Amino acid sequence: MPANRALSQTPFDALSTRDLIRGSLSIKALFVRESGAGYLLTGLALVSLILITLDTSTRLLESVRSAIGTVVSPLVVVAETPYLLGDSLGEVVASRENLHAINAQLERRVLELSQISQQFLAMKQENQRLRELLGSRARLPTEVLIAELIGVVPNPNTHQVIIDKGSDAGVTVGQAVIDAQGLFGQIVEVSQFTSRVLLITDASHALPVQVNRNGVRSVAGGTGHRDTLELENVPVTADIREGDLIETSGLAGRFPVGYPVGYVASVEISETSAYATVAVRPTASLDRTRHVLVLFPQTTSSDVLDDTQTLQELPSDPPLPDDPVEEGA
Amino acid sequence: MNPTSGGWLILLTVLVALTLAVLHLPETWPQWLGWWRPAWVAMVIFYWVLALPHRLGLVTAWLIGFLLDILQADPLGMNGMLLAAITYFGWRFYERLRMYSVFQQCGVIFLLVLATDTLRLLVLDIIWDQGMSWGVLLPALTSMLVWPFMFLLLDRLRAQVRVE
Repeated sequence: MPANRALSQTPFDALSTRDLIRGSLSIKALFVRESGAGYLLTGLALVSLILITLDTSTRLLESVRSAIGTVVSPLVVVAETPYLLGDSLGEVVASRENLHAINAQLERRVLELSQISQQFLAMKQENQRLRELLGSRARLPTEVLIAELIGVVPNPNTHQVIIDKGSDAGVTVGQAVIDAQGLFGQIVEVSQFTSRVLLITDASHALPVQVNRNGVRSVAGGTGHRDTLELENVPVTADIREGDLIETSGLAGRFPVGYPVGYVASVEISETSAYATVAVRPTASLDRTRHVLVLFPQTTSSDVLDDTQTLQELPSDPPLPDDPVEEGA
Repeated sequence: MNPTSGGWLILLTVLVALTLAVLHLPETWPQWLGWWRPAWVAMVIFYWVLALPHRLGLVTAWLIGFLLDILQADPLGMNGMLLAAITYFGWRFYERLRMYSVFQQCGVIFLLVLATDTLRLLVLDIIWDQGMSWGVLLPALTSMLVWPFMFLLLDRLRAQVRVE
């Protein structure tokens, strides 16, 4: 114990370690302050480095993080208050005509959607029958939880947001998050009342996708820009065109299959590279949405695996690394 | 005078600093503005260490760092290490630093924030391969510019509340 040795060398044995820790010292013990506190600082730095290593390479500290997250969540809410107030104020002062217009618009939208959902029900039944004929597993229905955005992680290097549903609502790490238009991100940390969502555009994020038109598979990596994803390692011969819809492929099992991710914005083929540069514009409004949906995948015990499932969720697929921040790069 | 009076003011200012550390700008504003955020928590802690070195110890600063880790989505322990280092520096040299003019103190703040932010980026670069950039100068610059106002404000508050 270096700190103890430093103390015993001094004539001021009355000085306790507790005093050192609290930083309360008398003038008499000025020179003890130098040695003892230096050792304490070194010790704290070492403990910090061990914690950093543990936290970034294992999941041991997840519960600690979630406990501290529960403690600090009020601060996040306080910091978000100006925006929440602005929103509710905007609702209060909205004019009558404006509200009528919005109402009429929403009614039209509901009509459109209910017409589509009628078709959807019929098609779902048909799809299920066809899958049964092929002997493959039926796609499972997914339950959703509506959550509201209550904060943004204040680090320009990462794209992460904080939502107002946590372990109390049953949210767990790894769940997919969507908004009304498409895939939004995934849960990376859960505290009691809030959770942190890593957006699909974060530079450290990558997800398996397929082209909706022909099923060509690829990996969509974040770029660190709010409006672009990039398909990684696409051969120049791959059949991907501008305007193609990119959707989740469900491989790796983290994201459910078939949610829209984005539209191909540009395909650049360079003569010097064997790979095409494919930029994808996300369909989700990543920087404007206030409400998102957390997906709760349903699991069954009897999974029948066969060839027809390759484009579907494979539960036994090689799992992603524990920490989603490290997947892809 | 009660030697533990006014502890609530220290706690309150630290909480305000933590809130300022997560306060974000409207999404429609350019993203790079986020680089200019001053190191609020580090400055508040540095002020209290200079003013009342016996009230805020290394371990307290280290523990405050854990709150900041969660708020900023940093690896656990990172900010504790940096805040403890700042506390140690302030505590080791507080007699000298108090004698400095405000402008000299600004220079000290600039160097401290620059040093801790560089260390932070270095660790993040090792862990997550984030890369280094000149952006690290910006928080140091804004912290330096904010320091005189913050110093005056906290000094006045401390005199009013009579924190000992």
